Amino acid sequence: MSIMEIRNIRYSYDDKRNVLKNVNAELEAGKMYAILGASGCGKTTLLSLLGGLDSPQSGQILYNGEDIEKTGFAAHRKNHVAFIFQSYNLIDYLTPRENVALTSKVPPMPVLERMGLTEEESRRNVLKLSGGQQQRVAIARALASDASVILADEPTGNLDEDTAVGITNILKECAHQMGKCVIIVTHSNDLAKQADVVFRLKKGELQQI
Amino acid sequence: MSTLKRAFLYTMRKKTKTLILFLVLVTISTFILTGLSIYKAADDSALSLRQSVGGSIRLELDKSNNKNWRYQQAAGGMLVEYVGTPITDRDIQKIMSIDGVKAYNGIGDGDVYAKDFDFISGISFGAEIDDSRLPSVTNSEYFNFFTRKAFQLVEGRHIKEDDDHVVLISSAIAEKNNLKLGDTITVQCCFDNGDYPDVKLKVVGIYKYKGDTNPFHTTSTDKRNRLIIDHKAMQEIMQRDVIQYDNGVDFYVDDPREMEKIASQIKALDLNWDSFTLTMDNSAYEAVASPLTAMQNLIVWLIVGCVAVSVGILILILSMWIKQRRHETGILLSVGISKSRIILQYTVEVLMIAIVAFGLSFFTSNLISQGVSDLIFHQVSESQPLPEIELPDDGTEYLDITGQYIPYDTSNVETLESVQVTVSPDYLLYIYIFGTLLIAFSVSAASISVIQMKPKKILSQMS
Repeated sequence: MSIMEIRNIRYSYDDKRNVLKNVNAELEAGKMYAILGASGCGKTTLLSLLGGLDSPQSGQILYNGEDIEKTGFAAHRKNHVAFIFQSYNLIDYLTPRENVALTSKVPPMPVLERMGLTEEESRRNVLKLSGGQQQRVAIARALASDASVILADEPTGNLDEDTAVGITNILKECAHQMGKCVIIVTHSNDLAKQADVVFRLKKGELQQI
Repeated sequence: MSTLKRAFLYTMRKKTKTLILFLVLVTISTFILTGLSIYKAADDSALSLRQSVGGSIRLELDKSNNKNWRYQQAAGGMLVEYVGTPITDRDIQKIMSIDGVKAYNGIGDGDVYAKDFDFISGISFGAEIDDSRLPSVTNSEYFNFFTRKAFQLVEGRHIKEDDDHVVLISSAIAEKNNLKLGDTITVQCCFDNGDYPDVKLKVVGIYKYKGDTNPFHTTSTDKRNRLIIDHKAMQEIMQRDVIQYDNGVDFYVDDPREMEKIASQIKALDLNWDSFTLTMDNSAYEAVASPLTAMQNLIVWLIVGCVAVSVGILILILSMWIKQRRHETGILLSVGISKSRIILQYTVEVLMIAIVAFGLSFFTSNLISQGVSDLIFHQVSESQPLPEIELPDDGTEYLDITGQYIPYDTSNVETLESVQVTVSPDYLLYIYIFGTLLIAFSVSAASISVIQMKPKKILSQMS
């Protein structure tokens, strides 16, 4: 049973050149998906459509069988999906605890500890953490949100190899142990290899590899 | 995390921005609060000035309508007799029932010889005996010689409506005849076509004449010889059955600003307007209030300018800052926080700072408002000299009963040296209410460019 479904999506920036054309896919909970593709091929756009940050020219995105446009994009973002960005996108005047608490009512510390942050680190300003630590905070925020779909845009793009491996493992845990649907957009084959299902976006079309 | 908490954390942790906005808001609210306080103080001063200076509307016999007058050749010259409708007490009561009319003074006219005292003698053109015209009044406090400060009561009291056979004399007459309060003087009408009795009048007040004392007056035209009496005494002196208001009735209003409205209400009354005319006099108020009026006009413009500049500055600063916060806006949108909540957060942040800033402005306004008021008032006063008194069309307002011009002595007018400003907590409440609206408007206006964008565009711009 798919948790998200992409039906005949078409998207263009200027109504002339379709970035996405007739894209279809079914995405299940408990699996990690990777979407590969060259820069500018529309990977991030597809992720934005899945997350309700933008709307397609035609086609539908369904969450548990319901069109997210009908249920409301803001509600979809709030209740169903969580984003992890390449540039972490943490609120710079908040501590890691407070960033996690942005979307969650559960105590933030257990999630942060699970991501390897200490009590002292959790009280620092987020900008005083390393890149890897910031990405862990971003993942912690996604996990604490209780969203069933995690959308990650180049989550290891700014990280060194060791840290990237660590982050990848956490995302796999999210899918396999926590039952979330993790969708990663990347141009890294190494990261894609860790996924359960790999798609390639080429010339606006999504093909499973 | 609640919107309130996010707003609180932002203001506490972005200290430089908070401080800048705090200073801007303190400055803006100080100026507006000061402006409001000065405006209100000027308004209060104008009100008390209006009430102290007052204004009057005169109902009098229409001298320009010949049908109202009969001219007869008499032994001593031409006798002029009024044959139109007289002003009656009923007419007066009709006018007194109009809202805003606080008092009246009817003025009668007569001419007497002094029987047991002497007038101040003036130039004589023959061997005739000294005589002087005398006015009868309902209330001498409102007699135009007193209201225009030409006479000043120095002893005793004014004549009231229920007085009977009393008189106010000048200090010059009192001195010359060794008269004091409580003494009695005797007068007789000097008209030569009747048999008039001697009438005794009790001195109840002594006034000082503050006008000119040039030696070219006749006994009759020298204002020091004015005997101001009540109407009952006039009736006996002139042998009249009823009180006659030969020189009209002055009606005094609470607020000179209402004069035109009251005059039009009087005009609408069922009076014989072929026989009467109505003239307004608020020149005294206009004269002393002109700096206040100019000051209030200036303050209104200053407040309007200050509000416009404040809104402009606030929108500019907030626009800049909200644009800088696109990144944060995008993140908040991506985690499902709605646009309205985000605008609310930005508004609450500014309001939190404003609450403290507005409170502080109460004290800063208290510190500067009096100084600013004095500065503006003196600037305005210097550029607004006391205006010339405008004469009404017929000029009768300024003629005494002998037909002489009564100078309006502006040197005796109580002019304002400054306006006493107090910053009331009530005005602070206005600032909080108005400031909240201003901030809500400014934040909304400043947020438009970011909030209109789709979340993806914000996120793509930030990355």
